[in-house]
Amino acid sequence: MQTKNILEAVEVNKGYPGVQALDAVDFDLRYGEVQALVGQNGAGKSTFIEIIAGSIKPDSGKITLEGEEYTHLDPSASIEIGIQTVHQENQLVEELSVAENIYLYNLPKTRFGFVKLATCIEAAEALFEELGIDIPAGTKLNELTPVQKKLISIAKAFSRKARILILDEPTAALDTKGKDTLFEIVRRYTQKGLSVIYISHHLGEIFEICDRVTIFKDGRRINTHTVKETDMNTIVQEMIGKSTTSLMTRSSVEGLDLVTDTLEIQDYHREGLVEHVSFSVRKGEIFGIGGLVGAGRTELARMIFGLDEKDSGTLVYCGTDVTPTDPNDAIGKGIGLLTEDRKDNGLVIIRPIFENVSLVRFTKNRGAFMNLSRERVETENISKQLNVITPSISQLVVNLSGGNQQKVVLAKWLYAEAEILIFDEPTVGIDVGSKSEIYELMDNLARRGKIILMISSDNPELISVCDRVGVMRFGRLVAILDGKEIKEENILKYSMGVGEKD
Amino acid sequence: MKIRAFAKERRGRRFNQSTMLIIMIVVVAIVATIVNPRFLRITNIINIFQQISVLGIVACGVGMLLVSGHIDISVGAQVSLIGIILAGIIQHVGGIAPDAPNAWLQPLAIPLAFIVSFAVGIVMGLVNGIVVIKSRVTSFIITLGFGSVYKGIALLVSGGASYMLFGRFEWLGRSRILNFVPVPILFFLGVVFLTHIILKFLRYGRFLYAIGGNRKAAYVSGINTNRVIMRAYVVCGLLNALAALILISRVGSALATTGEAYALDALASVIVGGVAITGGKGNALSFFLGVVLIGLLGNALIIMNVNPYVRDVVIGAIIIAAVTISHLTGERS
Repeated sequence: MQTKNILEAVEVNKGYPGVQALDAVDFDLRYGEVQALVGQNGAGKSTFIEIIAGSIKPDSGKITLEGEEYTHLDPSASIEIGIQTVHQENQLVEELSVAENIYLYNLPKTRFGFVKLATCIEAAEALFEELGIDIPAGTKLNELTPVQKKLISIAKAFSRKARILILDEPTAALDTKGKDTLFEIVRRYTQKGLSVIYISHHLGEIFEICDRVTIFKDGRRINTHTVKETDMNTIVQEMIGKSTTSLMTRSSVEGLDLVTDTLEIQDYHREGLVEHVSFSVRKGEIFGIGGLVGAGRTELARMIFGLDEKDSGTLVYCGTDVTPTDPNDAIGKGIGLLTEDRKDNGLVIIRPIFENVSLVRFTKNRGAFMNLSRERVETENISKQLNVITPSISQLVVNLSGGNQQKVVLAKWLYAEAEILIFDEPTVGIDVGSKSEIYELMDNLARRGKIILMISSDNPELISVCDRVGVMRFGRLVAILDGKEIKEENILKYSMGVGEKD
Repeated sequence: MKIRAFAKERRGRRFNQSTMLIIMIVVVAIVATIVNPRFLRITNIINIFQQISVLGIVACGVGMLLVSGHIDISVGAQVSLIGIILAGIIQHVGGIAPDAPNAWLQPLAIPLAFIVSFAVGIVMGLVNGIVVIKSRVTSFIITLGFGSVYKGIALLVSGGASYMLFGRFEWLGRSRILNFVPVPILFFLGVVFLTHIILKFLRYGRFLYAIGGNRKAAYVSGINTNRVIMRAYVVCGLLNALAALILISRVGSALATTGEAYALDALASVIVGGVAITGGKGNALSFFLGVVLIGLLGNALIIMNVNPYVRDVVIGAIIIAAVTISHLTGERS
């Protein structure tokens, strides 16, 4: 590793309406180094690497690459210079062969425009040999395992001139052997001068492969350490920053029989996704579920609601087995699910607000005819209660803001009189005002004796809203935090497996 | 953002697809009347409605399916096949054919034909629905295939020949109430009215919109999406049977291709009426106006002495124009 810089970014700014995604970020990358980029969701890591890769234009700032100065880059220029990105999601074509996927940007062609497949396969095989990847280059992509596909994505980056390699969560799709292959490649090429920006939530890997680590928080660069001179606790502390102000305070609940009035989640299991998860939630309690994206939280919620299949799992509510067979059954038993993706699973956005609000109520009540005037009055009332801002409840949902859309989803479940509510990332993409309104609503509901489960990747939110927080990691419920233990530091440590052997 | 939402709503109201259709219908009527004043005579108006009655009934079934985001392109073949079976029963049981059975069976021919027609309609609807749901293939492809199957069966059963009714079973298609209003029109308006009740006032209709608007969200909201879609196919089959009864009664004979044109005309009507091809939009009024416009055009071109074959060209152009305009004005957003 040399001390000269291949990349220098000075005072890079990028703002979106309502958020400053990057706030005067300085960053430098040396020749031949592996530098980790860490930070919580929304810290600005993705925005920053998209700027380096040229797909986002910064508002201001300067980027210097091998001595050349740029105000911004564009994707092709970036690739031309030698900045190759391995995205978290593979960008490959399932129907083509491995070799074609690798050289898709410039396939060798005959005079008549036909692809010279043999030449292509030969080149790919030579590349694999060099990288130490053992996959036949003529295979069709859809015959490969996810691990192999990830390795193909990595190999693709090396098929072109690579000076800077950006790896975005590369190990999420890799097994131990795949990870070893990747680290071996990284070690070998950095010795030849390749520089790597390495993004990962698994702090253990950073100590294995990286030279330096840079911490981002809320769009700012907090610090850069030499890995050898720091430890996990320091990094975690800096990711959290100074104590965050409490978003709201929960009031305590009284007058409920805390022994029998519980919802018990017993041994929920689905091979490879959710590993024997059990816990119980009291009436009037908000139980948070934290963890990294992909830890199996959404899968657990969908299984509890009867939406996805499960290998095992029983749901016991106040002593009776209420395990739902499908969403219809779950609704009949008083369970509601506010899905992670509002537009995809939660709302019929091309229909008016009132139809969305009354939908679950109508699936629950069996009468063939609808009482339209009653529907009108009651949906109007509940929309007002939840402060859905709209000129009329006949407005199409598509015209509402994210916060108001989420309130419509909530209104739908309240109108259906759900007793058990599962919120999956309820405040993603919602403005601050609506956020605190939603927290308040949840608090109100809990006080009225409902059972609330909240999945969230926003740790300060979990801390201020929840009575207890369970943390999931790799499908397992690794900890349940109570009272004073509910701290951002603890949630982060358990979700990233600090202290465990990675 | 809020201001934009307001503006959008107002624009949506002003250029409502139904208003646009009424304007188009009036324009066609004015042009036709200027060219040939006979167009506006009450007898011609009744004539137009009688002509579109069968199409209107088929279109209501197709329209409700389309609201749920599904297509049935086999409706034409269904009408033909039901027609063949219906006329075949009347001819063979009712004593027209030389090999007709005992005389005591003959009075039962028409009730039997009725029952069998509706049964066949229901069965075809069920089969379409089951295969569309189980295969998870786009309904267009599945029903395209079934259309060919039904047409083939109709040809096999009839041997390619036509069945004649010789004046039997004329009441449904040819008689007039009070010697003035043709019976088919009453059935047409009745079906439109029922469609309105279903879509506007029944829980079931609301579920159709929800499924067409977002099938996944509908399922998460507890709707048994498969059952609702299946029923929509069955309703469509039932209406095809009713349409076939009226059609064969009016025409007085049945061929394996009698109903063929209804598949595209019905789809064209509801699309022109403003039902999004992806589902979730449209209502009974829009089906009705779409059918009236398509029927009116055919009649107007004839009365204006234009080559009748021009009709298909004009209808095609109008479908393209209607969908494009509504797309551009953001009706489907």
